[in-house]
Amino acid sequence: MVYKSQRRATNGEQMIKEKESNIERVLQKKADWLRRRVLAMTVKAKAGHVAPSFSCAEILTAIYYGGYFRVRPKDPHWADRDIFILSKGQAAVALYAILADLGFFPLSELMTFTQKGSRLGGHTENTIPGVEAFTGSLGHGICIAAGVALAFKRDGKKSVCISLLGDGECHEGSVWEAVMFASQHRLNNLCAIIDHNGLSATDFLEDYLSVAPLKDKFEAFGWEVETVDGHSIGGILSVVRRFRERVSKKPLAVIAKTTKGKGVSFMENKPIWHYRIPVGRELEMARKELSCSCLKKRRI
Amino acid sequence: MRDAFFASLYRLAERDKDIVLISSDTGAICLDRFKKDFPSQYVNVGIAEQNMVGIAAGMALAGKKVYIYAIVPFVTMRCYEQIRIDLCCMNLPVTVVGVGAGLDYSTLGPTHHGTEDIALMRSLPGMSIFSLSDSKAVDFVVRYCYELTGPKYVRIDRTGLPLVYGNGVCPDMKNGFSILKRGSDCYIVSTGRMTYTALQVAKRISRGAVNVGVIDLLRIKPFNYGKIWDTVKGAAGVLTLEEHFLTGGIGSIMAELFCRKKKTPSLKCLGIPDSFCRKYGTREYLLRYYGLDAAGIAVSLREWIGNGYSQNV
Repeated sequence: MVYKSQRRATNGEQMIKEKESNIERVLQKKADWLRRRVLAMTVKAKAGHVAPSFSCAEILTAIYYGGYFRVRPKDPHWADRDIFILSKGQAAVALYAILADLGFFPLSELMTFTQKGSRLGGHTENTIPGVEAFTGSLGHGICIAAGVALAFKRDGKKSVCISLLGDGECHEGSVWEAVMFASQHRLNNLCAIIDHNGLSATDFLEDYLSVAPLKDKFEAFGWEVETVDGHSIGGILSVVRRFRERVSKKPLAVIAKTTKGKGVSFMENKPIWHYRIPVGRELEMARKELSCSCLKKRRI
Repeated sequence: MRDAFFASLYRLAERDKDIVLISSDTGAICLDRFKKDFPSQYVNVGIAEQNMVGIAAGMALAGKKVYIYAIVPFVTMRCYEQIRIDLCCMNLPVTVVGVGAGLDYSTLGPTHHGTEDIALMRSLPGMSIFSLSDSKAVDFVVRYCYELTGPKYVRIDRTGLPLVYGNGVCPDMKNGFSILKRGSDCYIVSTGRMTYTALQVAKRISRGAVNVGVIDLLRIKPFNYGKIWDTVKGAAGVLTLEEHFLTGGIGSIMAELFCRKKKTPSLKCLGIPDSFCRKYGTREYLLRYYGLDAAGIAVSLREWIGNGYSQNV
C-alpha cells in the first residue's frame, strides 16, 4: 500500500528526473552540434584535432552548459568566475566552438580556425576571450590549475577550478607533481577530469606505456576519485554538481571513460585519426553519421 | 646578496599582500623570517620545479605577483619549457630568481653551476633579465622588477660581495647599465660578480698609458643597444667579462651589436669556455683556473692591448 505523501514524493522525484532527462537531452543535442561544428571547422581549415575533440564533446558540454560552472561571456575577466583549464590543449577547436556559442566572441569567427589572419590556432591561447591558459604542451594545465585553486583558497574565494587532461598526458611527470601538490594543500576546489580514451597520438596506452590503474594512483596520491561514462551527459553533470556541493577536503579526480573519435564509427578507437581530417567519402560518411545521431536523438 | 634579496622582498611583501614567494625546497636562513611572518604569502612546492612554474602561473592568473626561487640550473633549465609557455607566452608577472650565478656553487660540480642561464633566458621572447653585481644593486632591481609587467629573470649570488656601488654611486636602472669608470681607449663590459674584478683590472691597467673604462651590465634583456653603443663606439677595444659560458652570453650580445655596425672597436670575450667545469675548490680557485681572476684578466688584457687590439678572441 502506498500512502498519499509517499506518492507525492515519488511524483516529485519523477518530475525532477524528467526535468533532468530533459536537460540531458538538450545538452546531448548541444554535444552533437559541437561535433558537427568541430568537423566543419577542421575540414575548412584542413587542420585541427577531430578525434581528440570528439572524445571530450560531452564533458565540455556538461561543464559549460550544465549550469553549475560560472562564467560571464560578456565579462570574461569577472573576478568571481570559475576557471576551466584545458590541459589537453589539442581539443582547442571544441573549446573555441563552445566559447563562441556562449558569446565570448562572434560565432562567425569559428570558420577562420587556423587560417591566415585568424587568432584561433590549433592549441588554446589565453588571449582568446574565455580561454584562461596557454596550453598545448602537455602536463602544464593541471599545474596551472593547482596554482589557481591555491590562490582562490588563500583569497577565501568560493570559485572552483576544473581542468581537463588526456590520459596519455598522464605520462608527463609534471602531472604527478601537481597531483601531489594539490592533495598536500587540500585543494578541494580543484577538479581534474581525465578524458580516458586509452589512446595517445600514436598508439594504445596499454600497448606501450599504461597509465593503469588510474583510480588507484589518484587515490594513493590523496585524491577523491569518481569514475563516470564520459559520453553520458547525466553522469558528468551529476559529478560536476556534486563537486560544488561536497564537503570533502580532497581534490577531485573524475576518470571519464571515453572513446576517441566518438560519434563517427570509422574514427572510433583508431590511432590514425588522432590528427587526421576526413576527406571525400570519409567526410560524407562522417557528416551522415553525425547528423543521423542527432536525428535519432530527436526521435526519442 | 641572497640576504639582501629576501630583505627587499620582505619589505615589499609587507605592504602588498598579493606578493607570493615560491621555493622548490631551496632554503636560506634569511628566508625563515619571510616564512614565519607571511605564511599565506609563501609556498614550498617541494623538489618539483616544473610544477613550481605552473603553480606560479596559476597564482599570477588569479592576480598574484609571484617570485619563484631556486638554484640557477633548477629554476631555469629543469623547467625551461614551463617558463617558455606558462610565463612568457602568457606574459605573466612572475619573477624567476636564480641563486648561484656562474661557479658560485664551486664545490658541487656542473649540476649546480649556472653557466648557461643567460643564453637560455635571453632566447625567450618577453623575458627581462637582470644580473646583479652587489648587494646594493639587489634592492634597486627588486624594486624595479616589482613595477614591471611580464616575466623576469634575476641572477644573484649566494654571499655578500664587495660593493661596486659604494660612495653614493647608484645602479642606473633607467638605462640598464652603469658606467662605473669612464674610459677612453678600452671598455670592459661585465656583469654580475665579474664587475668587481673588472674594476680591479681597470685600475691596474689604467696606471699605464691606456685608460680602461668599466660598464656594469645590470639588465641583459632588453639590452640597451643604443646607449651602450654610444658609450663604447669611440674606444679601440671592448672586453666582455662574464661568469657564464662564452656561448650565448654577454660577449655574444656584444658581437650581435657590433655586426650591425660598420666600424667597431675590436671585441674580446672572456668567460668560461665551451666545456663543463669538472674542477672543485673555492670559486676563486675555479675563476683563477679559467683566467677570470683579476691577475689573469689583466694578463690577457695587457697582451691584447699590446697586440694593438688584434681581432683574435
